Amino acid sequence: MGSTRRELFATLLSAAAATRLARGADDAVIIPGKRPMIVHNDRPEDLETPLGYFDSWLTPVDAFFVRQHIPRPAPMDPQAYRLTVNGMVAKPLQLTLDDLRKLPQFSVPATIECTGNGRGFFTPKVPGIQWGRGAIGNAEWKGPRVSDIFKAAGAAESAAWLETDGADQGLAATPDFVRSLPMKKAMHPATILALSMNGQSPDIHGFPARLIVPGWDGTGSVKWVIRLSAAAQANGGFFMNPAYRYPKYNLPPGTPPKPAELEVIEGMPVKSSITAPEDGAKVAGPVAIRGFAWAGEQAIERVEVSTDGGSRWRDAELSSPKLPFAWRLWRLEWRPAAPGYHTILSRATDSAGRVQPFVAAWNPSGYLWNAVDRVGVAVEGGA
Amino acid sequence: MRSVLILVCLAAGAALAADQAVLDRGKKEEARACFACHSLRLIHSQRLPRATWSKELDKMSGWGTKIQDREALLEYLVANFGDDKPATPPAMSGDGTRK
Repeated sequence: MGSTRRELFATLLSAAAATRLARGADDAVIIPGKRPMIVHNDRPEDLETPLGYFDSWLTPVDAFFVRQHIPRPAPMDPQAYRLTVNGMVAKPLQLTLDDLRKLPQFSVPATIECTGNGRGFFTPKVPGIQWGRGAIGNAEWKGPRVSDIFKAAGAAESAAWLETDGADQGLAATPDFVRSLPMKKAMHPATILALSMNGQSPDIHGFPARLIVPGWDGTGSVKWVIRLSAAAQANGGFFMNPAYRYPKYNLPPGTPPKPAELEVIEGMPVKSSITAPEDGAKVAGPVAIRGFAWAGEQAIERVEVSTDGGSRWRDAELSSPKLPFAWRLWRLEWRPAAPGYHTILSRATDSAGRVQPFVAAWNPSGYLWNAVDRVGVAVEGGA
Repeated sequence: MRSVLILVCLAAGAALAADQAVLDRGKKEEARACFACHSLRLIHSQRLPRATWSKELDKMSGWGTKIQDREALLEYLVANFGDDKPATPPAMSGDGTRK
């Protein structure tokens, strides 16, 4: 066991070193509080988590991916912070951070994934951050329920939407980041305004308050929340339409969408990703194939792995707990029977019976990549 | 025959030189029109066909940047970051957890 673990460690180390060399460290960019991250953009910050950091059920704050559409706001003074609750409410509120802390606090383990995670895998290429596998993370979020905040304000029965605004503001004529959420989802007991992340300050992830919309695309989990409004209609701004919409019917790759058939994205699909070994790695001896799997509002039921390009599949071992909203880590010990190049695949099934497809549906914005994951490794020597 | 060849080569050289001048103008325009709002990695990490780059320029004009040398900027983007160009892996940041 000891030697297996040492070998595995050596394999992982060399893969990580190779990746680092191939990419080249850019020490000109240092993000305070973050370990070395894959930099897709540094102003504003779009940072992907390197696969080597995905070794725990909770992704540490210092390793969690960052997606910023517009520059983050100036650091907020917790004493001066006010949350405006308005719109179709009986009693508009201005809540302090202490007010929010006095409401009942709930912990929600939830995976947050950028809607465009995996965009770089689509062919033909589409505009946007060319994420690989790492625009995703799983954290324990804690704070008051949105439903309790609206109970205090007396939201009208007829309010069908929650509109959320963050403190970040666009440069020049870039639109403000405002999102709308159907009130039914906003009132779900797991939808919270998170004041902490893994027991720490959320920092760059939305301090002091971040909406958490479990199981939906990360775009809905608005950071630096300064206003919650009950509304009759969904906001019509850029970040609701045309952005973050998905074709109702699949399109031939490379063709334009019909704008009337683009819909707001809600729950996320079923998906597994391979985090080790990394694509192109050289491996020897027993190999621990590892990864994560999640399925939006569903729980992960099963992950199967193939090491021969999809002829034979074996069930991977899954971590506990099995929850909706949060990923499960999976692992399979593999003893390669022969040297040479091997294609490893992973495929997840969720509690609703959805199975990860072989082909992710191409779409013009490159959202919701969830094809069966695939890496190629070279097995050295014999087993 | 030889003189024709020389002429062809001269013409090709002139065309290349012209192209390079346009590309240089495009690079300058990128620094002028794009860099104020975001770093250039956002552009350089993408590989897109001409029509898509053109749409991106329209989008950014709508968001408030004033593009003055659009033609050169588009040529520069297609020549360097067209969908026929290999992607370069993104860089890693330095360690921001060290106190």
